[in-house]
Parts: sequence; C-alpha cells; structure tokens
Amino acid sequence: MMRMIFTLAFAFLMTNLSAQDFGDHKSSTLTSKAWTELGKNNSDMAITYANKCIELYMKEAEKMQKSLKDFTAQEDTPKYWALNDVGTCLYIKAQALLKKGKKKEALATFKQLTEKVKYAQCWDPNGWFWKPSEAAQEKMVEMELD
Amino acid sequence: MRKFFLIASFLFCVSLLIHAEEAKGHKVSFEKNSDGFWRVNVNGKLIPVRGAGGVLAPGMLETFAKEGGNFTRTWGIESLEQKVTGGARYIDKAKELGVNVMAGIWIGHERHGFNYSNEAQVKKQREIVRAAVRKWKHHTGIAVWGLGNEMEGPQAVAGNPKVWQELEVLAKIIKEEDPNRPVMTVIAGSRAEKIKSLLKYCPTIDALGVNAYGAASGAGKDLVKAGWKKPFAITEFGVKGFWEASKTPWGAPYEPTSTEKAKSYYATHKLVTQINNGKEQCLGTFAFLWGWKQEKTSTWFGMFLKSKEKLPQVDALVKAWTGEWPANRAPKIEAVKADFSGKAVAANKKLIASVKATDPEGKPLKYDWVIVEESKAHSVGGDKEYEPPSFPALTLINNDPECVIMSPAKAGQYRLFLTIRDGDGNAATANIPFLVK
Repeated sequence: MMRMIFTLAFAFLMTNLSAQDFGDHKSSTLTSKAWTELGKNNSDMAITYANKCIELYMKEAEKMQKSLKDFTAQEDTPKYWALNDVGTCLYIKAQALLKKGKKKEALATFKQLTEKVKYAQCWDPNGWFWKPSEAAQEKMVEMELD
Repeated sequence: MRKFFLIASFLFCVSLLIHAEEAKGHKVSFEKNSDGFWRVNVNGKLIPVRGAGGVLAPGMLETFAKEGGNFTRTWGIESLEQKVTGGARYIDKAKELGVNVMAGIWIGHERHGFNYSNEAQVKKQREIVRAAVRKWKHHTGIAVWGLGNEMEGPQAVAGNPKVWQELEVLAKIIKEEDPNRPVMTVIAGSRAEKIKSLLKYCPTIDALGVNAYGAASGAGKDLVKAGWKKPFAITEFGVKGFWEASKTPWGAPYEPTSTEKAKSYYATHKLVTQINNGKEQCLGTFAFLWGWKQEKTSTWFGMFLKSKEKLPQVDALVKAWTGEWPANRAPKIEAVKADFSGKAVAANKKLIASVKATDPEGKPLKYDWVIVEESKAHSVGGDKEYEPPSFPALTLINNDPECVIMSPAKAGQYRLFLTIRDGDGNAATANIPFLVK
C-alpha cells in the first residue's frame, strides 16, 4: 500500500515537474511560454510561467522603469528587456486570472502593471509595439461592465 | 394663374428670409466650460459630443436621439439630403429631433486619383466646397463643418504637404462663406508627424477629428505630446480594426463577439473623455458605425444588424454617455465553442458549434447559424465592399444554442456566423473563421 502511494506521488511529481519547463529561465523564454499557454487556454500554466518571470525579473524591471520618464523609442525597446517582459507577463497573468473567473485578483494584477511597470512595451506580430499598461487600463474600465 | 405665381414667389421669399434670420442667430464655437473641458457651444449652450457616424438608414436618427445621442457626422455633403423616415431629408429630421450635425465635406484622396498638383482639379474642388457651404450655411441643423476625412492618406506617415496646404485654403474658403461655425478636419490616427503637419500648415482649422480604433483611447495623449493645443474629437472609434486583430494561420482576422465589442466602446469613450491625458481637450466622441456596413464581415463595425436590431455596442455606449443602461438591452454572449475555429477541415464534414448566451431581461432567445464565404475584398480606409455569398442549406440543425453544419464542398475560407435575437429589437453576433482544404 505504502509502495503504491509512493509510486503515485512520485508519478504526480514527475508529471508536474515536466509540465512546467522553464527552459533557460530567460525572461523572453518565460514570456513566450506564458503566451503559448494562454493561447491554449491553459490558464494555470500561463500563470505559472508568468509568475516565474515576475519573480526572477521584477526587481530589474522596476530599476528600468525608474530610469524612464516616458515610453522609450521603438529602436531602444530591446534595452528594457526585463521591463517589457515583466509588464507583458503581468498582463498575461491578469488575462489568465480573468479566464479563471478570478476578477478581483485580475484587477489587482492589472493595477500592479499600471503602477509598477507602466512603460513596458510588447511587440505585436502585426508589426507594432503595444503597451501592456494601456491595455490593462482599458481592461480595468471594461471590467466595470461585468 | 398670375396671382398664384405671385403669392407662391412671395411665400418662397418670406421662407428664405425666415431661414436667413434664423441662421443669423445660429452661432457655434468651441470653448472651455468652467471645469476647463472643451465643449461645443451651440447658441450659448455648452454640450459634450455624444456622437455617432452613419445614422443614415431610416429610423436610425430617431433611435439615436432616443438613446441620448446629440451629434452625428456625415462624410459627404450629399448625405444631408438623404431620405430618411417619411421621406424627410436627413438634415431636416436631425434638426427636428434636436440632433446636431457635423456636415462632412469630402476632400479628394490621392489614393483615389486626386492630384493636389493639378491646378484644374484643385480649382474645381475649391468651387465645390464653396458652393456646398453657400448652399447649406442657412440650415441651423448644421453645427460644425467637417472638412475632409482621412484625405492625407489612411496609411500615410506625415502626409503630402500639398494636401495640408490645400486644406488650409479650403478652411479659409469655408470661413469666408460662414464665419458662424467652426471647422474640424478629420485624420486617420494620431501620428505625431501628421499633427506637426497640421500645426505647420493649417492654422485656420479649429479642431481636429481623429479616427482611431485599437489606439483610440490613447489619442488624446498623443495629440498633447505632439503639441496640439486646440480641441479634438474622436470621430470614428469602436472595436479593434480587422487589421489590428489576431489572425488565423491563413490570415483571417478573429472578430470579437458583440459582447466583447460593447466593452471596447464603453472603455474607449470613458478613457478618452474622462481618464486619459488630453481629456480636457476632448469635445467628445463619434462612435462608428450607428447602422450596418459590410466591411471585412457583415458585422465587424455595425452597431445594428442589417435588419435594424440593436446590438450590445449601443447599450454600452449609452451606459458610457449617461451612466445608465437602457431599459431594453441586447443579449449577452458568454462563450462560443467550436473545435474547428481557426482550423482547416475537410470538405463535406459535419461540424458542431455551440454558444452560451443570456438575455438581461430573461427574454427567450432565437439562434440563427449560417456559413458565409470569407470576403475577398482588400479595401483600405473603409471603401465600399461587396456582400459575400452565404450557404443556409449547410446548416443542418439550426435555431438552437448548439448547431450542426456541413462544411462546404468547395475549398476556401469561410465563417460560421451566429445571430441571436431576443424578438424585442435586440440582437448579438459572433462568428467563427475556418478553412476548407
């Protein structure tokens, strides 16, 4: 019986460990994984990856945020990699929380994004940069209708 | 007969005099209210713009006025004479309902062949603009002249200086003919280069109209940053454009549901007029489109169905204007489910799609599912598009929240459209893009 419990617990642990593969732990990798999971509607995994990015890079992101007075020019965005990725991950996390029906937590996450990493930018495959904090602000107002 | 002719002429002259006298007293300007917010001053009354574009189909003006709208805009001067309810002219009906009109005067686009270096074309356009203002300046239904719509080029960066220079000449012509109304010009987006061009070449323009979709809520901030100090309005806004939306692997844009679109209308109006930088300079907004239009799909921009049912976007705009929901609201789409969404499927295959929807007043809902061929139009700047064919016979089980369809036999791009009606003048829409390989 004990052996069976141990085997099951081990199998469960292995499943979860292999499910969350942080790769090289770079902010860009984690952000990309978070986006992919959000796209697949795997909200829990999206939050896991987003949280990892936020945990590892928030301090650096805040340092970068402090150095700016406005959104940086397009050509300079790569210099603010931590700011951009943490801002994007906060947005992804909030969206995932909304999908799980956790509106209060989503609102708090959007707020954190607009207050702590306001100048983050994110590349849209359609060919421009968008601003997670502005998108967050829109979402916060949209949520008034819910 | 002679007596009759004399009486008729006399009455006509009296009518002209009355209109002229009425128009004399009709004065519109832009000025700040006591809170420092720019407003439209219509004969001494300061009003924020609760506006919409379109509003042309019979019955739309009445609905617009009833819902609390106070300003419409048109794009071409001929729209003022468009027949609406009871055969009345659009401009007369608007005045009767107390709706102010920003009368659009169309200015030639280079992408349509207009050449701003061609003296003959430019001269003719000036004559047309002068004649239009001369004809309509006595009508007190008109509050503002809307000079041009995206004439600088919807995709231009700074725009051709000749276009801006001519805009200034035309604005001066309008002012010569009618010193009692302000002039607004309308551009696509809020790029700094365009704003700087306007500042450099067009000092006569009284206010700026900005057409923006995904970026609309940030427009005020952009204008302030670029140095625009006069008032502005968002002259087209609503849902993210199909050019801004995420896409299927074959490039078809995913269209938001009407519920999702409603949130955009609400948030944009609130953000640009009450929250974001530049809000004090914002006269208000004109939602796009208070009516129906085929542009990319039959539902992307319209706030009504072709059959005139109201969509949730209208309710959300009313809530943004007044703080209150209308008494009779449109259905709400909670979720749409279709495994084939954004995927390639075989021909002649049975597919299932379902929706979870509710009605705010608990009314029973009717569901209509139909496959439509994807539009092959690649228009820019809202140019007219054809309506693609639909295939109602391919809906095997309809009138239910869950439908069964047969994928078309012919390979190509399609959408499964869903229309939900509450039987009381309201509807909701969604669609699912798929590919038949």
